[in-house]
Amino acid sequence: MHYVEVKDLSFYYDEEPVLENISFTVDPGEFVMLTGENGAAKSTLLRNVLGLLKPTKGSAKISAVNNRNEPLSIGYIPQQVASFNAGFPSTVLELVQSGRYQRGKWFKRLDAEDHEHVERSLKSVGMWDLRHKKIGDLSGGQKQRISLARIFATDPDLFILDEPTTGMDLDSRTEFYELLKHNSEFHGKGILMVTHNHEDIKNYADRHIQLIRKEDSPWRCFSMDSCSEHSKLHS
Amino acid sequence: MEMFFYGFMQRAFQAAFLIAVISPILGLFLVLRRQSLMADTLSHISLAGIALGLFLNVNPTFMTLIVVIIAAVLIEYLSTLYKSYSEISIAILMSAGMSVALVLMSLSSGGSTTTIQQYLFGSIVTISQQQLYLLAALFLIVIVLFLVFRRPMYVLIFDEDTAFAAGLPTRLISILFNVITGVTIAVIMPIAGALLVSAIMILPAAIAMRISKSFKWVILVGILVGIVGMFTGLTVSYEWGTPPGATITLIFISIFMITTMTIKVIQQLKYKKSRS
Repeated sequence: MHYVEVKDLSFYYDEEPVLENISFTVDPGEFVMLTGENGAAKSTLLRNVLGLLKPTKGSAKISAVNNRNEPLSIGYIPQQVASFNAGFPSTVLELVQSGRYQRGKWFKRLDAEDHEHVERSLKSVGMWDLRHKKIGDLSGGQKQRISLARIFATDPDLFILDEPTTGMDLDSRTEFYELLKHNSEFHGKGILMVTHNHEDIKNYADRHIQLIRKEDSPWRCFSMDSCSEHSKLHS
Repeated sequence: MEMFFYGFMQRAFQAAFLIAVISPILGLFLVLRRQSLMADTLSHISLAGIALGLFLNVNPTFMTLIVVIIAAVLIEYLSTLYKSYSEISIAILMSAGMSVALVLMSLSSGGSTTTIQQYLFGSIVTISQQQLYLLAALFLIVIVLFLVFRRPMYVLIFDEDTAFAAGLPTRLISILFNVITGVTIAVIMPIAGALLVSAIMILPAAIAMRISKSFKWVILVGILVGIVGMFTGLTVSYEWGTPPGATITLIFISIFMITTMTIKVIQQLKYKKSRS
């Protein structure tokens, strides 16, 4: 089964093509990294995958169920999420706890297991001591870390991450990747992540999809060809 | 205390309490969704509903509810056309509402002008028993919906795309929220007046946001500020013989200024202490 299946996807802004003939899959237990130069419509591609945008041609589908045949849960970190509105009236703890709501807790009390997930996630990013702080009072790096804690608290089947390590120092980034890798290898999580760091791709990615600017197009349009998908599994 | 011997003042205080509890809840969501002006817009639309009701000889309150519900859905649709500039939809409907109200007023017979004036400036002390019952029913609906939807709303206002990815029907929740806000405004407007509805909805929430750091507390503080402001405003209005709606709004503005200045002073003191 595929958690994500993108088939011959093209996406146009008005009449202008920005993505053409994109096809790839993300399977359970697979860590897929997506790269491309600035403006290569990587975020647009993720938004197509999530259903926030509608492909002009082709399709992008996310499986309804996980590999245990339960409803599939998705954890998404958008690119700009760390730039929280400074006035948003919420503590770190409230925000990270909100990650548990989609695990069947929209209308139910959080139980001991939920609280344990939240605590573990906050500790894993070193933010447990700051749990009662207002999120608007945090630094950029701290905001980044609590958005990661929130997604780990959700414990989703599929992670969709748009440059989640921007502004993070090397140690924090390594810890984050180790945690993600552990999730994909040992817990069968599917991961689709946009990044710019080629060292990270070499160290952690099972597959690397590169969006390349089309030479024959008059537009700033990106695509992928047979040599732009590199798989560790098949090499 | 003599004011409590009058039935109209008792009703006014009861209404003030109900408005003070529901307004900050809806107001907080409006502020955080960058829709602070929506209360203004919907009150202008409500005026159009009243004018239409009077023009067609249909119950104005009933007509207002219908018009406001349609407008609330329209706001959501228009905001998808201007996704990054959602306030455009609010501005369009605000001017449309006011224009329709004014044109219909001019077409109606002379008597409707007085009624429109009543709605425009409203007065909580003239609230009827029937209006109070309507407000109480609305109070129950808003409280129940808030308790049920507070978690989806938290995620939705934090980030709409994250909420969508989490599987929430974001569009449906947004429309439902707009409709409830519209209905609330349509009910409160004849009581507080169209010009002051927005202030009563937004100011307690804005004050609470300055004071509280958690989501849970911001709502409780907003309600507390709402009750204090409404009761103080009503008392001052009774004692001084000033218009209740305007007095209540001025009380809220005073609380806002005092809070802002106090926070500034505290921050300065903390800063000085940390440097010494």
